[in-house]
Formats: sequence, C-alpha cells, structure tokens
Amino acid sequence: MQKIIITSIFLFSYIFAGERIAIATKIIGNAHYIRGNGSQSIIKKGQIFETGDILSTKKGGFVALLFIDDKTALKIKENSKLTINGIRSARAIAKEIKLDGGVIRAIVSKQRQADFIIRTSVSIASVKGTDFWIISNKSNDSLIGLDGKVEFSNIISGESLEITSGKTGISSSTGDLQSFKTDPKNIPDDPSDDGRGEQKLEIKFEDASGNKKTLVIKYK
Amino acid sequence: MTQKLISKLRVIVLLLLLISSLSSQTRLLHHTPPPYAEVGKELILKASSFEVVDPIDATLYYRLPGSKSFLEIPFTDSGINWEASIPGFAMTKEGLEYVITFQFSKDRLVSFPREDPYNYPHYLITVPSKKSELGLMDGNSNQDILILSPEPNELIDQKSILIAASFFNANKVDISTIQLLIDDINVSNSILVEENILSYDPGELSVGIHTVTLLLKDLDGNDISPLSWKFTVGTERIEISEPIKYNGKINSRLSSEKLSGTSLNIAELVGGMKVDVQWAQLSTDVRLTSRESPYSQPHNRFGTTFSLGNFIDFSLGDFYPQLSRFTIDGKRVRGIGVNADLNWFRIQFISGELNRAVQERNSLNGGYSILHDLTSRNEDGSKSYYLDRTGFTFRRNVTGLRLSMNLFSKLKAGVHLIKTRDDTSSVNKVLNEATFLSDSLVQGVPVGIYTVDDFNNALTLAGNKLNTPTNNWSGQKPQDNLVFGFNIGTVLDNRKLILDFDWNMSLYNRDIWNGEMSISELDTALDDSLDGFIGLLYDENGKEISGSTKIRTGDIIFDPENIKSMFIINTNMTPIVPFDLNALKSNPIAAIINMPSSAFRIKLRGNYSRNSILAEYLQVGPEYISLANPFIRSNTRQFTISDRISLLDQKLFLNVGFKHLDNKILKTTVSPLNTNTLFMNLTFLLGSNMPTFVLNYQSIGKNNEKTKLDSVGSKTVDLREDSKSSTSMVAVSVPFSSGNLKQNLTLNIGNVANLDNFNNKRSASYLFPKTDSKTISVTLSSLYPNQLKTNYLISQTTLEIPSIVENNLIKTPYKWTHLSFSANKMIFQEKVNSKGAITFLNSKSKINSKLLGLRAGLDYRLHENLTASMMSQVRFNYTPDFKEDKLDNDGDGKIDNSGEGFNINSIGIIFNVQYNF
Repeated sequence: MQKIIITSIFLFSYIFAGERIAIATKIIGNAHYIRGNGSQSIIKKGQIFETGDILSTKKGGFVALLFIDDKTALKIKENSKLTINGIRSARAIAKEIKLDGGVIRAIVSKQRQADFIIRTSVSIASVKGTDFWIISNKSNDSLIGLDGKVEFSNIISGESLEITSGKTGISSSTGDLQSFKTDPKNIPDDPSDDGRGEQKLEIKFEDASGNKKTLVIKYK
Repeated sequence: MTQKLISKLRVIVLLLLLISSLSSQTRLLHHTPPPYAEVGKELILKASSFEVVDPIDATLYYRLPGSKSFLEIPFTDSGINWEASIPGFAMTKEGLEYVITFQFSKDRLVSFPREDPYNYPHYLITVPSKKSELGLMDGNSNQDILILSPEPNELIDQKSILIAASFFNANKVDISTIQLLIDDINVSNSILVEENILSYDPGELSVGIHTVTLLLKDLDGNDISPLSWKFTVGTERIEISEPIKYNGKINSRLSSEKLSGTSLNIAELVGGMKVDVQWAQLSTDVRLTSRESPYSQPHNRFGTTFSLGNFIDFSLGDFYPQLSRFTIDGKRVRGIGVNADLNWFRIQFISGELNRAVQERNSLNGGYSILHDLTSRNEDGSKSYYLDRTGFTFRRNVTGLRLSMNLFSKLKAGVHLIKTRDDTSSVNKVLNEATFLSDSLVQGVPVGIYTVDDFNNALTLAGNKLNTPTNNWSGQKPQDNLVFGFNIGTVLDNRKLILDFDWNMSLYNRDIWNGEMSISELDTALDDSLDGFIGLLYDENGKEISGSTKIRTGDIIFDPENIKSMFIINTNMTPIVPFDLNALKSNPIAAIINMPSSAFRIKLRGNYSRNSILAEYLQVGPEYISLANPFIRSNTRQFTISDRISLLDQKLFLNVGFKHLDNKILKTTVSPLNTNTLFMNLTFLLGSNMPTFVLNYQSIGKNNEKTKLDSVGSKTVDLREDSKSSTSMVAVSVPFSSGNLKQNLTLNIGNVANLDNFNNKRSASYLFPKTDSKTISVTLSSLYPNQLKTNYLISQTTLEIPSIVENNLIKTPYKWTHLSFSANKMIFQEKVNSKGAITFLNSKSKINSKLLGLRAGLDYRLHENLTASMMSQVRFNYTPDFKEDKLDNDGDGKIDNSGEGFNINSIGIIFNVQYNF
C-alpha cells in the first residue's frame, strides 16, 4: 500500500513537472541551471524557469528572478545552489525553494494560498509575504528579517521562531534555534541595487572670504 | 453529615436535570463540523436552527487545544444559516477547539457539542495550507495582467532592460493576439511568449523615458483596453521613500430583518487604520453599532495601539491582553496596556475595566424590585417595605502586571499578578426614573407602576414606610480577586524537550460590601473565642480541643486594614486559610500541592523524529478563581498525553492521545467523576488537486465510582455513572477536472454512539440522557470556465433523543434532511458578483416541518477600493401537522388551516459598503 502511495506521489510530481513558474530579470556573472536530466545551461536575461529547475551561481554570479503569479522576487547571490518548485493552480503558484547552500533574498508578495517556503537541510522558512535574506551552509542557516514576519523552524528539533524586521534567526544542524537583533553589518549587499545603494551628492560652498564648506547628502 | 450528603445529592440531581434539559433542547441546533481546517486560513462555520418561535443570538467560542479560555465571535444570521468566521491567525498547527451556542429568549441555551461543551469542545484538526479553488461566494477573481519588468516609472540602466509581463491571472486574454509596442514601434515579431509569460529583450535603449504598450484581445476576439506604462533608462536614481505610510478600511453594514414577527434592525460601522512612520506604528480599530445600549455591556469597540519599533506597544481602549492562561488570556479590557519586550526581558502591564457599570435593565423592575420576604413590622404597627436595587452591574476594575525573562533562549521565567475588584461606587444608589410594580401585597397602596418617590409618597399616605438600602443589595454582590503566580521553563536534550511549569494562587472575596476585617474579627472568623488564636476550639470545660487549628493572630505579619487596597479580607473570602492545616501536618508537600485555591500545570513537549509528543498535568483547585478568566474550570485534575506525527513529507498526519480528568483533589471528595478520553485523528493529504482523507475517532468514558443506589429522603435515586460515548467521523474529498470544469466532491460521515454500562442493572424508568446521532453529507463544488461557481449539498442527520414518558424510557427519532444549492458568478465586466442560494430543510419527528430558504444578492465593485453589496433572504416554514391539530399555533387569535401550517419564518435584507484606503 505504502509503495502505491509513494509511487502515486512521484507520478503526480512528474505530471506537475515542467510548468513555467518564474522568469530571470537580471543576471550578473556566471549563473547556470539544470532542467530534468539535461545538461547545465547558462541563464540568460528573460530565461523562463520551470518547476524542478536547479539554479546555481559561481563566484561573482547573481540572478534575480520573479514568479509569474505575484511577482515574488528571489535574488540569488554568488556560490549558491537551489531548486525552485511551484505547483500551479488557477489563481496562484504554491512556491517552495530547496536551498542546498548559499545566500538568497526573498521578497515575497502576499501569498494568496499556500505559504512561500524555503527549505534547507536543517530549516524551513515559511511566509505569507515579507522580505528577508537567508544564508545557508552545511551546518547552519541564518535568516535576516527585513520586513514582515517569517516563521523559521528547525527541522531537527521541531522548534519554531517568528523572525521579524530587525531580527536574525540562527538554525543549526544540532537543532538549536535562536534569534537576536540583527547587526546591520551582517546584512548582505543586494547586487541588484548595484550603483544604487547609498550614494553621495557633494555640494561645495564658498563664502566671500573664501571659506569653503561642503554639504554632503547621502541617499539611496 | 447526612444533611451534607443529601445537599450534595440534590446538587448532583439538579445538575443532571440541567444537563438533561440542555440535551433535550439541543435538537434545535444543527451543525456539521468540517473535517479539517487549513493552517493560517480563515474558516467559516455554519449552523442552523430549527427554532421557529423566538429571536435568537448565536456565539462561537474557540481556543487553542488545552487552553483555559475561549475567544468569542458572534454568529451572523445569513437568513438560511448562521455563519461565523474564525480568522486565519487562530488556525495554528495545534488545531482548534470550538463550541457553538444558540441563545434563545428566557435564557434558554443550546449548544454544539451537545454535552458539557465548554469542557469537551469539538476538536478540529488543522492541516498545512493548500490551495482551494472552489470556494463559493468569494467572487474575487483576479484577471489582471502582471507587469514583471521593468516596473512602471522604474529607472533602469541600459544593460538591464527586459520587458516582461505575466498573463497567469489573465485567463481571458487570447495570448496569440498580443502585440508589443515600444515607444509606438511594434516589436511583436521579436517577442517571446511561453505559456502565460511575455518577454522581450530590446537591447540597449537610449537614455530617457520610454513607453511600453500591450495591445490585446480576449478569447472572443474583442479588444481589451491597452496596457501601457513608462520607464526611464539612465544611470542615476533618486528614491525618496515615503516617510509616512497608511492604510485602512471602513465598512458600513445596515440590516433589517424580521424573525418570527420580531423586527431586528442593526446599523454598524467598522473601521481600522494603520499609520506607519518607519520608526513607529499606530493602528486603530473601531466598531460602532446600533446595538450599543447603556443597559448592557458595550457592543461598541474602540482600540488603538501605538508601537515604538519592535520593543514597546501601548494599547488604549479595547484590547485583549494575555498574561497567562490562569489569569487573563484574551478577555477584553477597556483601559490601557503596555507591553515592553526587550527580547530577554519583558514587562506587561494592564489597567482598565473588565465590565462597565450598568445601572439598570431596560424593563419594568429593571432597577428596583419589592422584596416581600424582607417586609418588617415596626413598633407602631406600621410596615416597612424593602425596595431592593436590581438590574445593575458593578464596574469591574482590573490591574495586572507580568515580568518575564528569556535567558539565552534556554531559560524562561516570569511572575505575574492580577487584581480584579468590583467598584461599589460605580452603581447609583438611587434611580429616580426607574419604575417597578407594586402588587396587592403592599397594604394601602393601589396596584400599579411606581417610581421611588411616588411609591414613598403612596406608602406614607397609607401609614407605612419605605426601606431603600444603599448597600448590601440582595442581588449581585461586589467581588474582589487577587491572583498571583509564576512560571518557569527550560529546554533540554539539545532543545528537543521543552519543559514548562506554571503555578498560581487566587484569593477571592465573594462579597465586599462590608469591607475588610480587623485582626480581632479575624480571630473569630473560624471560632467564636476572641483568644488570640484563629481556629482554636474549646470543649465545654474551656479546655483546648486537641487537633483543632491553632494560628496565633500575633504571628500574622500583616494587618488586613493595611492591605485593603490590594485585597479585602473578611469572612467572605476564599480561602480563609490557604492550606488544609491538618494535611499540612501529616503531608506538607501534598498539602501545598493540593491547596484548594491553587492552580498549576506542568508540561513536557518533545520533538523527536517527526513526532511532537505532549505530556501535561494540570490541576485547578476547587476554590481557584480568576474573575478575568471566566472559562477556567475549577476542581479538576487532568493528565494528557498525545503525539502528533507527520509522515511522508507532511502529507500524512497522525494525532493520537489520551486524557484523564477527575475532581479528586480534596480527600473529602465523594464519588469523584472520572473521565477518560481517547482520541485519534488521521489526515492524509496527497497534495494539491489530489484527494484528501480524514478519519477522526474519540471515545469518552465516564464513571463516578458508584456501584449502589442512593436515597434522597424516602426515595431511591440512581446516580451511578458508567458510560461511554464514541464519536467517529470519516471525510473524503476528491478534486477532479473535466476539461476546463474543475470540481470537488466531499463525502462526510459522522456517528455518535452512547453506551450505558449499567443499562442491564437500571430500572425501566431510568433516563440515560445521551443522544445517539448519525450524519452523512455530500458536497459537490464546481468551477466552470466562465467563472460560474456552484455548490450542491445534501445531508441527512438522524437523532434518537431519549425521554421518560409514563415511567418508561422512549427514544424519539428525529430525521433532518438538508438540501442546498448555491452559486455565484461575476458579471458586467467582472464588476458585479451575483450570488444566490436555495436551501430546503425537512424535519421528521413527532411533528414534521419543512423550511425553505431563498437568498440572493450581489457585490458591486464601484471603484478599485470601494465595494457595495446587498443580500436579501426569506425563509418559509411549513408544518403540515399544525393544520390538523385545531390549535392556534401562530398565536394570531384564530384557528385557520392555512395560517397554522404556513408562515414566513424570517425575512431580511443586508446592505454593506466597504472602502479600503
């Protein structure tokens, strides 16, 4: 009986495979994807991804992609590897990211139905709509909340925490799960904001006596 | 001793009669529970009433499993069903417990579940959220085209330009007709369209503003309004973030209904607004309703919360604090609240009122009532008539504080205190306008309706006097309550085990009219001797009786007068002595644990290999009371062990457990009632668009350890309890498609069977008051390609309600058949969502009746943020038996065949306008 059930699940997974769910909107450096049993291909701007596609970035690589149902954005930094999965229904895509390692930012639009899920070997992040970074390596995951709330769970211990803006959650392979205030230095740079991060406008003034002063305006 | 026993037996008999009465009335409430709910997703519960006489109110109570208090949601009458919506945030993976009550006039109450609902609420399992496409009446289909890139008005560098749009939600667009224009130049030959995604790489465009235009046709070949947006190509960008963000909504509801001849018109305005200034947030919720009345507790709501960063929240107005499950756990407070959370240290403070002062009821004798039993005769032969104040409610003030800490996410601890006291000064001593009835028992005063002054004058003329006490009124007594306690918790075994312990103690005073006691009054609280000892008893020779309680008043470290602002101590307080002093001498640990005014809980939760195991012991002493949490059931000991297992990648859930409940806290308990509950739930979710299977089973066994009959006076009564109630439910839901038609078929079968293990040993006239029932329902939901949604339901419930007729037990069968069809469809360019439903209920029993309900309405989207809706309903009642019984069943003063059998049971119309901003 169990074999039938498991076989059925795989069969249905196969049936649902191949649906287009996302599009790459920005590429920097080397980024590749693998579809099914195919070989590795380069990701180009406008690349359309299907459920089950495995994406990877090399050093200096970056990919920004958007899900086509609600514009949920995924920004994948260098040296990352993940599988994107999505089950399409009439009104939405139930999205699940399997992150093998690396650094990604998720800007999740309000989900109409199922939660947006990021799964690593030790953690699950489940959200309805929010903005956060997740940094995953073999031993632990860090989740940095930028906006909204994320339910962050450790698979090993089953513990859950709610990570909000300004908080960082650490989930380890030993089952530990804790949160603390985010150190701004630990927030990764977003390459899609390249050249658009903090910028400086300098205006120099000089009075009649020749004294000079500079007004510096920092903006993003 | 014998008198005490008889008194207890009377109480038990009364309780059984009450339960029996409740059970016999329950036939009027029909509710088929859903097989499961989805985590985080709103759930609408429906219930029907077969009551055709009185206007009613209905309330849904829900809570997390094992919690000690319920949250309340009023049901709204949709004409055919009563509906209540449980918000998505209440749907956690722990599941949900709920109770439905219908309140009729004359304080009649029926409930689901039928028996002991607050202690055995219905458990509803929750499963991870999955998609649900076939819900009816939501009517919010999104057909918009999604601009993916670039965003409108986005500034983008020359190398990053990608034109992309998604037609995922625009299923009426004929993809093959799409034309793309960049700055009015048609580039359609170069676009790429895959499934629902359009993409085009224009290469490098010149710096400046550019325009994208999409020309489209629908599937019928009709033009769709072009979609156009601009973006800027450049290398610089200035982004000015909005310093202030705000959003909110206003909802106005007007309803006019007529239920069994009684009109009910309600106007309600509900709104909310949130302002975000980045470093702080202000959110406000308001409800103004025409149901607001000075004669009852407030129906209006006004609450606002100011949040400073993530650290501190200030609440003002109505809010729902949770300090601990044994003190206050979500009950409404009107006042102020502070919640400062520094992550490792947290302060919660509340101050306000739980009840507001109500001066009188809006009825005759609503403020005064003559108590003839207290009429006294004066020395001069005249009489003094006692006029009691009635219909009032004291303002109940509450103040609470909780300090807690969380050290390194490993150790959690906290202390809390909550003080609740009725304010006797909040109720007016005299009501000049209140009227009351003076009957013929008042000598010399004509029978009639009087005010206080008129009555006083009439009595004076008759040579009698009026006694109007200004305190110690015989009705409701002012109460005082102080609860304090602590909790401590830790994690063990690499965070796989979580251990929590809560302990609380209450001091309760049921009547503080006379204020606090002095030390000398305390001396004579338990005995009559002012001897410097509390509880010391003497024999007739004045010698101490050995074994009697002996507390030196000089050892009391506080004077009751000094702590009266915190708690009022007098003879009406519970406990006078917190420990069983005799037990304290023999077994001090047991005496402390079993203090009658204490409540505690020890909980161990383990997470091991997909198992979530819970072991919990909870004890609430017979005298433990928290006025801020009315749902706590005192005099209970409960042990629970359960396991929730998740298998097959969260597709198969198994929830099994056992719960033992009794009231054996005090050694003096006679015939304790033991309740053993075994529960099992299996939920199998194959995945989206695949079948779902749910199996629920619950067995509740009750026994009171009695094996012999009791006698009350000269009669014998059978108070033995040894019964088993088994509830089972199977639900299968199968989604399937036929072309573009998507459907979902759900089969639900439920069965409740009760067994009396003393059945063979009881007399034929014994009433075993539990009701067996069987329910089967089939629902077919369909979503057609033209966005028409339909829902067909057929269900049948059979009951056997026991009663005693001429000293014989009979079981009266009831059979309810329920057919319904509902549909909704977007029309007029999807601006209007039209809805309709027809329901037929057939009730077969001693008296057969049929109810036919019709409902129709629409939602009109006037503007993107403005929606108006209207819903009308009518329900007809047909009782053929009334045509032949030659009685005036409809109370119109005449016996007419057509009028007796047929009537319009209810009719109404509801208008709703909602504006979001």
